[in-house]
Amino acid sequence: MDMNEKKVEEKVENAQPVEETRPELPDTKEGRLVREIVEKAPYAEGSVRRERRVEFRVPAERIHEFLELASEKFEMLMQISTVDWLKEKEFELVYQLWSVSEGIHAFVRTRIPRDDAKLPTVMDIWPVAETYEREAHEFFGIIFEGNPRLGPFILEPREYEKHPLRKDFNTIGYVKVIYGEDFDRYDESKTNYVI
Amino acid sequence: MSEMKEMRNENDGVISYELQEFKLFEPLFKWARKKSLWIVAFCTGCGGIEMPPLATARYDFERFGIMPNPAPRMGDLFLITGYVTPKTLKRIIITYEMMQDPKYILAHGSCPINGGVYWDSYNVVKQLDKYIPIDVAIAGCMPRAEAVMDGIMEIMRKIEDGTADGWKRYRENYEYYRKNQDELFGEGWREKDARRWLAWI
Repeated sequence: MDMNEKKVEEKVENAQPVEETRPELPDTKEGRLVREIVEKAPYAEGSVRRERRVEFRVPAERIHEFLELASEKFEMLMQISTVDWLKEKEFELVYQLWSVSEGIHAFVRTRIPRDDAKLPTVMDIWPVAETYEREAHEFFGIIFEGNPRLGPFILEPREYEKHPLRKDFNTIGYVKVIYGEDFDRYDESKTNYVI
Repeated sequence: MSEMKEMRNENDGVISYELQEFKLFEPLFKWARKKSLWIVAFCTGCGGIEMPPLATARYDFERFGIMPNPAPRMGDLFLITGYVTPKTLKRIIITYEMMQDPKYILAHGSCPINGGVYWDSYNVVKQLDKYIPIDVAIAGCMPRAEAVMDGIMEIMRKIEDGTADGWKRYRENYEYYRKNQDELFGEGWREKDARRWLAWI
């Protein structure tokens, strides 16, 4: 009840004209949820992918604010996955949220530049984010400000320094240095890699 | 005192694995070893899933005297059941060195042979034979239970005719294996890492 009242108040406060550029939001529980959240957070773009699956795109500087808002509906953080868009020089972080009450899976996408990959931590919203942020930090070198345990996690220390899941990490060169030279896979003419 | 010195000089460079007094019974010992292979339950990668069909009614490896047991001190057969990462390899080496002689290694699948589908992965050991001696390797990704059974029959045959000599090779070429291990993990990895799990090393 308390929550409902608060929502009504916020709706009244955020009485900005919500641009009606998304008439494609269907009149299902997913569409209603997306509309409700996007009305509260007009900086985010929301869409419905399919049944029980919704998607948001949020600018990086307001991601914490948005996730705090979304955590009212989405109680669980399932995963933080990272995509490395090398040509666009950006990392895309996907916060996967799960709403226990509604049964809806949400992707919250945000993009940060590769050179200066910094984000605020969301540990204060979901404590479980600590592990996912450590993983993203180790494999991609993204710095989550406020997470106290960033550092070597799963990998060996020499791999931690290189952030091996970045697209510009030279896997074959690294393998040759670490495991020896005699594991190349050539075709029959010994000129080209098979794979 | 001088006699002892001479005796020691006589045996320099010779490693004898069988007691000469029991040489007559050596065929019996080999037969007994072949028929009582105890497995160290150490599953890496996807081959651990292939173990339950082997242990249960259809293939039932217990009829060959094979038994899973949790202690490396009692194990004879070490199954490497899939890809090996450097972190796992540290544990594998320590476990292998804890096992009593004679000990045999059976490697499943193509990953321990040349990396398999992880051939360009930064985190999978490409050729396991550089770090610990393998007696029998089964190719395939993943070998079916019949193939694993065939590998076990092969290792039993090799035990009987004495060609499963990985444990001897490990003793005789310890410097080679140790050099490769140190190259991969860095000098002093036993002191740094392994002592955290096993205080007595």
